[in-house]
Amino acid sequence: MRRGRNSKLFSLAVGLLALSLVAPAALAAQKVQYEKTGPRVDEIIMPIITESEAQLIAFERGETVVLPGLTKPSDIDKVKANRNADLTMNLGFHMFYLAFNMRREPLSELPIRRAIAHVVNRDQIINSLFKGYMLPLNSFVPPSSPYYNEDVPAYDYNPAMAKEVLDKAGYVLDKATGIRIDPKTKKPLRKMTIYTPTYEVAPTSAELGKMIAEAARSVGLPVEAQPMDFNVMLSNIDNRDFDMYVLAWGLDRIPTFLYNFFHSSNDVIEGYNTPGIRIPELDAALEQVYYAKNEAMAKKGADEAQRILSREVPYVTLYSRPYIDAWRKDMVTGYVPMMGYGAANYNNKWTTLNIRRVDGPGGTIRWLLPENPESLNPLTTTSAYSWEVLGRLYDGLIEVDPNTMKDIPWLAESWEVGTWSPEKGKTGTKITWHLRKDVKWQDGVPFTSKDVKFTLEYLKKNEVPAYQSAWQDLVKVETPDPYTAVVYFSTESYWHLYHANAAFLPEHIWKDVKDYKAFQPWLEPHPTVKGLTKLIGTGPFVFKEWKPGDYVRLVRNPLYFAAAK
Amino acid sequence: MGYRTYLLRRAFYALIVLFVILSFNFALFRLMPGDPTSLIIDPRFTPEAKALLEKQFGLNDHPIVQYGKYLWSLLRFDLGRSFASQRPVRQELMERLPNTISLFLTSFVFMAGIGIAIGVFAAARRGSFTETFVTGAGLFTYAVPTFFFQLLLLMLFGYYIRIFPIHGTVSAPPPEGFWPQVLDRLHHLVLPAGSNVIIGFGSWALYTRNAMLEALSQDYIITARAKGLSQRAVLYRHALRSVLPPIVTLVFLSLPGLVTGAVITETIFSWHGVGRYLIDAVLKQDFPAAQGAFYLIAIAVIVSNFLADLVYGLVDPRIRVAGEQA
Repeated sequence: MRRGRNSKLFSLAVGLLALSLVAPAALAAQKVQYEKTGPRVDEIIMPIITESEAQLIAFERGETVVLPGLTKPSDIDKVKANRNADLTMNLGFHMFYLAFNMRREPLSELPIRRAIAHVVNRDQIINSLFKGYMLPLNSFVPPSSPYYNEDVPAYDYNPAMAKEVLDKAGYVLDKATGIRIDPKTKKPLRKMTIYTPTYEVAPTSAELGKMIAEAARSVGLPVEAQPMDFNVMLSNIDNRDFDMYVLAWGLDRIPTFLYNFFHSSNDVIEGYNTPGIRIPELDAALEQVYYAKNEAMAKKGADEAQRILSREVPYVTLYSRPYIDAWRKDMVTGYVPMMGYGAANYNNKWTTLNIRRVDGPGGTIRWLLPENPESLNPLTTTSAYSWEVLGRLYDGLIEVDPNTMKDIPWLAESWEVGTWSPEKGKTGTKITWHLRKDVKWQDGVPFTSKDVKFTLEYLKKNEVPAYQSAWQDLVKVETPDPYTAVVYFSTESYWHLYHANAAFLPEHIWKDVKDYKAFQPWLEPHPTVKGLTKLIGTGPFVFKEWKPGDYVRLVRNPLYFAAAK
Repeated sequence: MGYRTYLLRRAFYALIVLFVILSFNFALFRLMPGDPTSLIIDPRFTPEAKALLEKQFGLNDHPIVQYGKYLWSLLRFDLGRSFASQRPVRQELMERLPNTISLFLTSFVFMAGIGIAIGVFAAARRGSFTETFVTGAGLFTYAVPTFFFQLLLLMLFGYYIRIFPIHGTVSAPPPEGFWPQVLDRLHHLVLPAGSNVIIGFGSWALYTRNAMLEALSQDYIITARAKGLSQRAVLYRHALRSVLPPIVTLVFLSLPGLVTGAVITETIFSWHGVGRYLIDAVLKQDFPAAQGAFYLIAIAVIVSNFLADLVYGLVDPRIRVAGEQA
């Protein structure tokens, strides 16, 4: 274990990827240029093509200008061969990991976990399973996050070190069986199992489990991989009936996931602290992150938490998936690579605003949807494919800078994060939003603080599960004037700033909606404006049509506050 | 027992079968490990949020209460709300059913029509090169894996001969006007339905050929020939008529395909049908969606079997005679 390895591995991987991709200019390390105005096309048609070969063919035929989220090396190679294709690559908030059940012997013993961490050969895994198109990950926060701590000690691939760790801890190798003897019981170590999805569902994960098991056996640890049905695997994990398992997390830029994954309060059935790590000093650091008063305090807590996690090894992090998107450069330009999300993701507002046809302003572009959206109700759907549509209809109060991951004022011109006292002896968070005065809903009604208040109170009144973080600590919302909203939370946490940054709803449409689950706004015509439905936002595109299974059609919002002049 | 009693008895059995299937349908999903909310792997979805969802889904009710609600809903043909989309399952199925029916019907009519015609043609030329060729071609297309053949078509018509659409049921957006839209739909049907026909006609051809050959060796055919009837009359008026009952039965037994869809075809050609809906629902443990789809399929299977029994009873008097003797 030594310091600085993370950054070295990271640079190496980025370098390898840069060599392997067609457009190294788009690498995350480089600063991208973008405008904060748009959109620059009149219409987006999103054909729904679910079969991966058909997606590639559609891209080849120019029936879609983008092929988002490429993961299969063979697909990336095929696209690279197309001289009209441009590939963008960005580091993602993705983490693939091996988790230990620290409640069970012998995985409760640190030397065993450290030894396994030392036999994992990330480079071999990435080269053999992914042809180099993944980034080795040796930290608990992905390098794309502002909260990544590169000074945290990491575990090199070093089987000799693994043997030494085990020898020093008294796990002597029985040469006859090739299995180490447990110094406590004086018996050979029991067989340990790594749960993986089946080869049919996730071939790389299944193979990866097998590779780690083989590596562990090579140092005398009796480990076997056991592929199983994905639902059974999740059920076993929820019920803590496992030794080890491999799985992935999709994270985001806010580091509160560390609290969810490793705080002792989440070591409950179905809680996310699946390893069962319970260390008071780690809890303290994680509370510093979760209840941070500001970003600096969160960074300090996150740094400390990463140090402790690296020491205790509840997970062995393995790799992070970069976002690789392919673009038809002979048809469009202006797409914006963005750290953490990639160039084509709906979280990337800047591509939506800046993308344009190479043959001139306006016109139509065709943007692939790899699955049919489940629904277009923003309160019920958690599907990424639904949000690929909805994300272009709505705006946040805050958006994210694609280069720095810092906040950018958007529907809100500015904000203040302060405190208040919900009751004697308690401190809560107070967030004051100062809204822009030129924002209109797509039907022409002004967007005001009343919409902010309505949305947050509606979410709380209906206990909408997908927005639990927005309402669970919400106390009240005040609107001293149409463009100021003051939101009060009962607990102190800087992250309430983002919890309140929900997809806001137009009060004049939603106030009559009694059952939000049954509401299908895209199917109901707008009460006053012909050609619109009740699915309206403030965003750059207006919803026009969804033909399930075939396509979605969006058109430019003529009332957009950030319209390009 | 007359034909009416025979039908009533069949209808009663059908209802019992439906009840048993629906009960299994309910129990199977709940016996599966895991629950629908455990499939939400999102650090923002806390155990508390998942508990709220479980409450909304009605998964906290006692299983007997859930079962009661389930049966009562199905009686009213209320299939509930999908866990995944929160949309009414009936609406989602109705959205997909026309696509599945159009794909199935087009494929089926051509597949069965061509298959039966080729089967009769081959049987009439027993021992000839034509028969060998037809039998070989039928066996070959029957044996080729569907996905492999369809992917080949996708490549061929996607890259090299770009005359057919390779995904979806309509153009995005479709052309203006009724007839252009009909033509557009037919254009999109060519590859999925055409590939189904090529893959499926072989089994119909072989079945018909075998049945015809057996019929042609019967005494009454020899008698017909001895009477000096033409080959055409022997073939169509005597032999084909005698093999029609099992073929008609087979047609009816194939009808559930109207609602079950063709999962592989739907997947490869991004066809928005019931087959994929069912598979996705099972994988996501979306109980209402899977139960709704299985309900539809159960009804289709039972009705098809019932119709097959009915038709068989009509075309083959021995069935009724056997029933009366029982």
